[in-house]
Amino acid sequence: MTLATTPYRQRSPLYFAWRRFTANKAAVLSGLVLLVLILMAIAAPLISKTGYEDQAYLTQALAFPSSEFWFGVDDLGRDFFTRIVYGARVSLSIGFTAALFSVVIGVPLGAVAGYYGGRADWAVMRVIELFSVVPSLLAAMLLGALTGGGFLTIILIAALFGWVQVCLLVRAQVKSVREKEFVRAAQALGATPWYIIRRHLIANAVSPIIVGFVLAIPLAMMLEASLSFLGIGVAPPTPSWGQMINVGMNFMYFYWHMAVFPTAALAITVLATTLFGDGLRDALDPTMKGR
Amino acid sequence: MIPFILKRLASILLTFMTVSVIVFLMMHAVPGGPFDGNDMPVSKEVRDKLMASLGLDQPLYVQYFKYMWGVFHFDFGVPFQSPGETVVELLARAWPPSLILGGLGVLIGASLGILLGITAALRRNSWIDYLASAFATLGLTIPVFVISMMLILVFAVWLGWLPAKGWGKPNSWILPITAYAMIPMATYARYTRSAMLDVLNKPFVTVLRAKGLSERRIIFQHVLRNAALPMVTVFLPMFIGTATGSIFVESMFRVPGLGAYFVSAINLRDYPLEMALILMITMMFCVAYLLTDIAYAMLNPRIRFAGNTR
Repeated sequence: MTLATTPYRQRSPLYFAWRRFTANKAAVLSGLVLLVLILMAIAAPLISKTGYEDQAYLTQALAFPSSEFWFGVDDLGRDFFTRIVYGARVSLSIGFTAALFSVVIGVPLGAVAGYYGGRADWAVMRVIELFSVVPSLLAAMLLGALTGGGFLTIILIAALFGWVQVCLLVRAQVKSVREKEFVRAAQALGATPWYIIRRHLIANAVSPIIVGFVLAIPLAMMLEASLSFLGIGVAPPTPSWGQMINVGMNFMYFYWHMAVFPTAALAITVLATTLFGDGLRDALDPTMKGR
Repeated sequence: MIPFILKRLASILLTFMTVSVIVFLMMHAVPGGPFDGNDMPVSKEVRDKLMASLGLDQPLYVQYFKYMWGVFHFDFGVPFQSPGETVVELLARAWPPSLILGGLGVLIGASLGILLGITAALRRNSWIDYLASAFATLGLTIPVFVISMMLILVFAVWLGWLPAKGWGKPNSWILPITAYAMIPMATYARYTRSAMLDVLNKPFVTVLRAKGLSERRIIFQHVLRNAALPMVTVFLPMFIGTATGSIFVESMFRVPGLGAYFVSAINLRDYPLEMALILMITMMFCVAYLLTDIAYAMLNPRIRFAGNTR
């Protein structure tokens, strides 16, 4: 086998993407931070002393951070570190699930709009236009009031506002691939549109789909935090950072830990996810860099 | 251009009417009515009379057409939560604080962002470039209430330099304006940097340099003008998004602006005010996008309007 011994080795596109990704220090660091956050969220019962709603330290309510209570104790006598860690569970699970739903809605719509063009495209674009002119937070608040909030509804609301971006990314990619020769060839060989979309167009749109998925996560987390901050998101006692920031606001002049830790947790998580997504986008599709 | 604008106006009308129907239905589908609150319980007869006097006992479609008829005559009804004035009067009273703070925030933020973006593009990979990217990422990713919280904690609580809330004195404006300025600044730093870099790499810039034009004239007369195109497109929508007030910034800094009414209109089932707020912002966004498209076409003659659907 002379072929294998030649010095030239063929590298897969994934290899180059990986090299580009690891060259981006901010993205790698964010990836690590995100990994730690996910592990913390999964292992929450192991690393926290009490349950998230156990008022185990009522006599020490509002105690400042110490070696015993890393992040202090909240106003209702709950260990604040436990609350923050469980908050990561809520935030991350809502972010990931909502992003998944966004992809589930956005990919088929984007593919259909991009492939068929014409009336289908017009219809999808009008719907997207609706979403671009309606103040999204107001609409989300109205939906929250309508449904009474709660874990699942927040996910659905976030997906409802998150699919647009995924849809546009997929639509653009499908539109450009649709004109390629291999799609023409598949059409000539009698492939059905459904087969072409599934087999060729969506397969070629995997990078934008991954990017759209990752970038939809921080948006969903931010929406959840905003709604919970306003009191129409995840209902207490389920810990949510947005909700904790709202409570912390009332205490911040004297008990700074009540405001600082949830604020920092939310900022770090959203930042890490966004930078990770940006790095992934630059790595998977260098032509999109900096947009 | 005229047929394009007419077509867009028709499309705006369609969007507007769709939004109005959806929002109207959603609003009335929220359980409870304006007089079901616990703080002022009224007997059933009184409530029925109140509902009848406001026309809330009629079928939904009648209410909808009545309201929209008013809207087209610039009559948005009377807000249930303060029946002494009309919705238009309430907006005229509550909007100025939001408009001043948000407008100043956008103007200051956008100018700083453009400066930051230009410097970053000219000194690529220097510390200022990294600073600009850091600012842009932070401003675009961190929710505005987190930014507000950090500002309050640092400048009002720890350093004690500035008041955390209020509206009266000018020094209480500084923190909310800073909070408002973050997103425009981040957006503009990012857009300006990438637009500048795009243009700087064009062959005509090399030609200008080869012909010996001074760097200053190249940047200000040629590069900036060409880079302005993408910068124009984001301004109006951003201005509207910010200058209609932020629920978060205003509630955290206790600004008596429009923001608080977004929440109270929904919570108190104040249907006329809720509809008015959503329709007004929707309309402004529609017009902003149209104006942006027109401005874009005037600045870039290469764009043609024949049947383009973005």
